[in-house]
Amino acid sequence: MPADFNWAIGGEAGDGIDSTGKIFAQALSRAGRHVFTSKDFASRIRGGYTAYKVRTSVDQVQSVVDRLDVLIALTPRTIDENLDELHEGSVIVYDGERTTMQGVEIPEGMVGLDVPLQSIAEEKGGAIMRNVVALGAACAVADFPIEHLDSSLEKRFGGKGQAIVDNNKEAARAGRDYVHENYDHEFDYDLETTDNDYVLLNGDEAIGMGALAAGCRFYAGYPITPATDVMEYLTGRIEQYGGHVVQAEDELAAINLALGGARAGARAMTATSGPGIDLMTETFGLIATSETPLVIVDVMRSGPSTGMPTKQEQGDLNQMVYGGHGEIPRFTLAPTTVAECFHKTVEAFNLAEKYQTPVYLASDLAMAVTEQTFAPEEFDMDAVEIDRGKVVDDDTIGEWQNEKEQFKPHALTDDGVSPRSFPGTSGGAHMSTGLEHDELGRRTEDTDMRVEQVDKRNRKVETAQEREPWAYREFGDTDSGNLVISWGSNEGAMVEAIDFLEEEGIDVHFISVPYIFPRPDLSEVIEDADDVIVVECNNTGQFADILEHDALTRVKRVNKYNGVRFKADELAEDIKETLSQEITA
Amino acid sequence: MSAFSAIGEGKEIDRNDYTPGLEPQATWCPGCGDFGVLKALKGAAAELGKSPDEMLLVTGIGCSGKLNSYFESYGFHTIHGRSLPVARAAKLANPGVEVVAAGGDGDGYGIGGNHFMHTARENHNMTYIVFNNEIFGLTKGQTSPTSPKGHKSKTQPHGSAKQPLRPLSMSLNSGASYIARTAAVNPNQAKDIIVEAMEHDGFSHVDFLTQCPTWNKDARQYVPYIDIQDSDDYDFDNTDRREAAEMMHETEDALHEGEVLTGRYYVDSDRPSYQQEKRNIGEMPEEPLAERYFDDSYEWERSYDNFLDKHK
Repeated sequence: MPADFNWAIGGEAGDGIDSTGKIFAQALSRAGRHVFTSKDFASRIRGGYTAYKVRTSVDQVQSVVDRLDVLIALTPRTIDENLDELHEGSVIVYDGERTTMQGVEIPEGMVGLDVPLQSIAEEKGGAIMRNVVALGAACAVADFPIEHLDSSLEKRFGGKGQAIVDNNKEAARAGRDYVHENYDHEFDYDLETTDNDYVLLNGDEAIGMGALAAGCRFYAGYPITPATDVMEYLTGRIEQYGGHVVQAEDELAAINLALGGARAGARAMTATSGPGIDLMTETFGLIATSETPLVIVDVMRSGPSTGMPTKQEQGDLNQMVYGGHGEIPRFTLAPTTVAECFHKTVEAFNLAEKYQTPVYLASDLAMAVTEQTFAPEEFDMDAVEIDRGKVVDDDTIGEWQNEKEQFKPHALTDDGVSPRSFPGTSGGAHMSTGLEHDELGRRTEDTDMRVEQVDKRNRKVETAQEREPWAYREFGDTDSGNLVISWGSNEGAMVEAIDFLEEEGIDVHFISVPYIFPRPDLSEVIEDADDVIVVECNNTGQFADILEHDALTRVKRVNKYNGVRFKADELAEDIKETLSQEITA
Repeated sequence: MSAFSAIGEGKEIDRNDYTPGLEPQATWCPGCGDFGVLKALKGAAAELGKSPDEMLLVTGIGCSGKLNSYFESYGFHTIHGRSLPVARAAKLANPGVEVVAAGGDGDGYGIGGNHFMHTARENHNMTYIVFNNEIFGLTKGQTSPTSPKGHKSKTQPHGSAKQPLRPLSMSLNSGASYIARTAAVNPNQAKDIIVEAMEHDGFSHVDFLTQCPTWNKDARQYVPYIDIQDSDDYDFDNTDRREAAEMMHETEDALHEGEVLTGRYYVDSDRPSYQQEKRNIGEMPEEPLAERYFDDSYEWERSYDNFLDKHK
């Protein structure tokens, strides 16, 4: 019996795939099982293949694999799309009465369960519940106690009245009973439950939660897949803590609104995806030059241009490290797990304010659409510290005025960090500008002052490099000569790939990097390794390029850019194959 | 402890208090209308008793963007076209601050046109002064969104084929709740209008005719001008949308025929501001959100555990 169980429901967009999948994921989480979900979906409201996949285990799961044990197929295409992942013994639940499913062929070696989903649902109160009937059937196959579905159904349908909830509970039970009564098959699954308490959330939600915990009280955004969940998370919550969310007319406005909120004294953030980052890049230099703290989240998706809006890619790294005309000091953080999305968001706010520098937080679609379970302790609110940096108030402003009592927002200091005063602070009136300026914020083209201000701004990054840890995360055998490096969301798949590789007798040392700029110095560890492979979801190997530059050597690359995230077993194969290859320049 | 002691202090203010200790000599051309805006703004701010420490002046790019350098207050000189989102957000975060945005006709009606429409539509409680000289001045005389049809420049050598944009009409249709036009040559009216604009609770749009003696000699000096409220030739109710719309249309046409009409075109004192609308539905905190950061007794993190519960 496999330790993990892989389940999916697939059909057309508009079939309620997403909410059905979420009900199952939540039920598993509440039954004390770990869950990792993923979605196949298209950018449209109706039509087109879509699927919600759940991987579950009593141990933590942090990746998808190329294996599907139970599939609820509402369309024939759902079966075709998943042929690679289905295996001998896989169970396919389908409704043979449905016109499109009549005569559907179950691939050899697999178990087809023809369950009249719609008829049973109609019997129990409405065809709309056919997916819930399917959930019940899946519970029978997986030997998962149906009672665990109940609280999820209550959460989902509670707002529609007790009768609806009860109908759904009955529909689920009818689906389970139908399988028990009509199929005498011994299914090889037993989803045991535990008493563990888990929370289930996705990367966008974790970013939103991190922002709230970090004291972000002003958010401006413009809807875009897959970043919209950040805004939707904050809306309705931030107000409870005295904050405000603005839905802007476009991304140009969104970042300038966030900038305005920050200048006026709030901790401010915006979140978008690649196309929005393009527009926001216009204002990026102003944020840095005016030394305004701001957190900009890029939940990356497949590009360029409109690309594949609902597909995974890590293609914006160069944009976040180099984007914008002129030379712009910045920080770029890349959380490596859903939980880390929370922690890195908190860190991003503190870095932004301590060094008065814009911070990019690089997340991606894979994390945004993944619902993952964690122990609640992973989100330790008491460990959150808010450091607003060198903000002056009425008592301290005098320390930063010149002899004419003029405030110096861009004072030349040893560490590069100057004071901030907000409108309304007595004695703090000053201007700031995207033009080069002097200590008072007045525009200047003085050659010496230009050099001093450029150096000052860059000195902040140098100071941060010295003062902050910029730690990376390590896994596997740290003595192994096979070094694998990745950044961002690939961590989970790679951590699990280590186990697959171990089974084949291959040791690897895996470094997962959450900081892109500044970043940990990996040159020595790269030099000491026999083989170095950089894993990332893009075509050209943008992080690999940076590491080659850092270490002045060549590295091997594993790149994926077909729109689908790395899967642990598949990645293990890629690593194995790449280790055996020579470096191609 | 507070960081916002300047707000509502009610200090006695002299217009010279807005003259910065440095760079007092403006670099605008002799005879430029921008001097008129500066003078009117200083007069208005002094009349309202707003200290430099409780004012935020947000500007765009162009000759008008130099206003910050000559006006002592909190100032933020943004990039081309983006002053409005910065300004309105600052007002949301720190509502006690008097927020004024300023920019040229290219900045506000061209590159920043979308922000203009939406800031007006949302009726943010702030003042927007557009230096309208019907030309791009700082880049040396190219045709702008308000240049009249037939206007010749290096970029439109055969004369502009485009109808000029109608700033007042666009403002009305977008949703601004205070709309006025004034001219640099009319300093008393200009000051009074800016006072009214700043006092108005909602989005105030002042289309400020600023002659450009260097690059737009055709526009002359915007003289003689007529104050439509003072003139017996014009009788309309500026609280009535339809009458206001007609008067605006006539004014915009008249300008290109050499007749300079100015005054208060539309005043809607009843429409709630964005802030008020949001407060009414519980989406805007009663207390200024920027102040909370200076409240030592505020518990930042302790209540977040209930967020986690929602994910169980």
